[in-house]
Amino acid sequence: MTDLIKEQKLLENVTNPFKIKGRVIRNRRVEVFCDKETVSSVLLYAKTQLGYIHLAHMTCIDWIDENKFELIYTIWSPVEKVHLFVKTKIDRENPVMENIDKIWDQANTYEREMREMFGIEFPGLIGEHDFALEDWDEMPPMRKDFDTHQYAEQTYYNRPGREDAKDVRETLVERSGTEVPDFAKKYSRER
Amino acid sequence: MINDKDSQKIVDYIQNFSRKHSLFVMAYGTGCGAIEIPATMTSRYDAERFGIRGAATPRQADVLLITGYLATKTLKRVIRVYEQMQEPKYVIGFGSCTINGGMYYDSYNTINALEQYIPVDVYINGCMPRPESVISGFIKLQELIQQGKADNGKRYRENLEWYRANQKKIIKNWKMPDYNW
Amino acid sequence: MIREKETTLYLGPQHPGITGNMMIKLKVQGDTVVSATTHVGYLHRAFEKLIERRNWLNAFTLLCRFCVPEPDPMELTYARAVEELDNREVPERAKYIRVIVMELARLQSFLLWYAGQAGSGGLYTMGQWSVGDRNYVLDLFEDLTGGRIYHMYIWPGGVRRDLPDGWTDKVLKTMDYLENRQKDYNQLMFDNTVFQKRAKGVGIIPKDKAVEWGVVGPPLRGTGIKSDVRIDEPYEIYDKLDFVVPTFEGGDIWARAMVRQEEFRQSISIIRQAIEKMPKGEYYNKVPNPMKWIVPEGQAWAKTESVRGEIGFYVASNGTNKPYRVHAKGAAYTHGVTVLEKVLPGQNIADVSFIMNSLGVCPPEIER
Repeated sequence: MTDLIKEQKLLENVTNPFKIKGRVIRNRRVEVFCDKETVSSVLLYAKTQLGYIHLAHMTCIDWIDENKFELIYTIWSPVEKVHLFVKTKIDRENPVMENIDKIWDQANTYEREMREMFGIEFPGLIGEHDFALEDWDEMPPMRKDFDTHQYAEQTYYNRPGREDAKDVRETLVERSGTEVPDFAKKYSRER
Repeated sequence: MINDKDSQKIVDYIQNFSRKHSLFVMAYGTGCGAIEIPATMTSRYDAERFGIRGAATPRQADVLLITGYLATKTLKRVIRVYEQMQEPKYVIGFGSCTINGGMYYDSYNTINALEQYIPVDVYINGCMPRPESVISGFIKLQELIQQGKADNGKRYRENLEWYRANQKKIIKNWKMPDYNW
Repeated sequence: MIREKETTLYLGPQHPGITGNMMIKLKVQGDTVVSATTHVGYLHRAFEKLIERRNWLNAFTLLCRFCVPEPDPMELTYARAVEELDNREVPERAKYIRVIVMELARLQSFLLWYAGQAGSGGLYTMGQWSVGDRNYVLDLFEDLTGGRIYHMYIWPGGVRRDLPDGWTDKVLKTMDYLENRQKDYNQLMFDNTVFQKRAKGVGIIPKDKAVEWGVVGPPLRGTGIKSDVRIDEPYEIYDKLDFVVPTFEGGDIWARAMVRQEEFRQSISIIRQAIEKMPKGEYYNKVPNPMKWIVPEGQAWAKTESVRGEIGFYVASNGTNKPYRVHAKGAAYTHGVTVLEKVLPGQNIADVSFIMNSLGVCPPEIER
């Protein structure tokens, strides 16, 4: 990667007005880090002034060791063809984040999902509380300390598996009292 | 009805024969297995040769095809659909995830064994089952119908309490009408 | 004029016209939709949670089930994100094979879309033809990978197997067949007055709002905006191939159908070019023991173009043998919720499933 002029220019354009840090990752990828109060103004600035009009995706990562949620907003400019990642970290206890569905309507969907999966509150968010789940009364399931395997074992019926470690065909033969068909014999493990 | 035992046998035979050759499959793609249904129904595999065809509403359907994993949210709808269906009704569990959870064995939102919640006549294993195995599953069901062994609607009515207890364990907010068959 | 009472209509989850297991709550006045609210989650399997419990390669078995009609872009996108984290080079031949697989996946998905779009408009013959023809593409996949629907063929570092002997000839033969079939499809569907009358002027996405709404893929190109990941951010070998990204003005169902019709031809041409130019050599840059394979710490975002639009994967690693977080965003995530809610008001009830098909709403991709 020799020329990252476009990316450097974008980085300066975003970081200078807000006095935030950032870096160029590679071509077409620029990331900036800011605190949660500045996120919406950075996004609005990038959308209205710099032409980053497409919200490509929003996501949340649960860094349980740091006790933080990292929120990542990925925006894309159809003209410059560069991705800008706006990243912020918020507290894991009582997480509250600013609602940006006034800037992009589709952010509403992402935020509803995050509210359900991570338990992040977005004040003023419109939409039913249930997004993908229904009548969920446990911890928000995408949090790292939720053990899905344990929950599944407790809640659902687990069919016991076969105890013999034999070839499936042999078990079937034993159960049904029939012969292994000829075409299957040549694939037998015993061979 | 007919008192003579042999005549009853003939009537049963004709009844079962007719039933097995007109299986109306409920058009409800509950999971990703629904992708092989168009292939099964259309020109190459042409399931209509066996009298298998789609039905749009539960009341006209005979077969409920559970195409794959069931999220708990869908399970509630599936139970409603199943209870609305008229007897005789049959259930086919399609794909490995209806048998033991398949690759979703540890998921918090999918059930692992379908027959705990509604009675199942035939399971088709595989992920995805090929259209050939779907058809072979249907033929197995037809055999059961011909032998008069596919009476799961009755079994469901008789063991309703057991099924209800299992269903209510998972569906927390039970707000559904009770059907009186 | 008598003002008609507003009633609520629940469309789905069990409904023959809906494109998958989801529900739309429609407020209707007579025959006209006043407002629409989508309810999703009937297919939530907690993929992203489960992937955190699998190792880097085991995740592929789950990934391809993200969206059923077109599983390969998911594999490629995730593989590219992992390759970026691990700085893994892909052999040149593997890049060509990947493009061929991707375009075949597009073709089979287009054929399924033909069936859905025509079927929801009342042309049931189309489904018999195109889904039947789709089997020929799936046969190619079966030869290549052993599976009809799910392949798990694309891996970080290349592809899993080399092409079988004589496979490219079979592909070319199938391409010839599909190209000839185009004439039949046009006669049955695109030249059909029934289809044209139903499609023109219905489900309009305004051009000036499209990008902001998060519209991607054929619906965006149907508004006249030239946007395609394959040219915006060329991956694999798309920059070496000669193809056109079609656009069509109007933003209605007809425009989207015309875009897809042209893209079908372009895909055939891309496959032919890729087969012609494909070099010999390695197809797989071997990863270490998958059970112990550790991907360096970092975060990566990769995106590719699927039939419905761009698909992006955000992958974060904390330097262990398991992904720390994988987030997938498919085109249907916006198309199936907010865009649908904006497009539906003012339309007829009968057109709802027609519009859903043309937007490519794929519920398993929304809730995952």
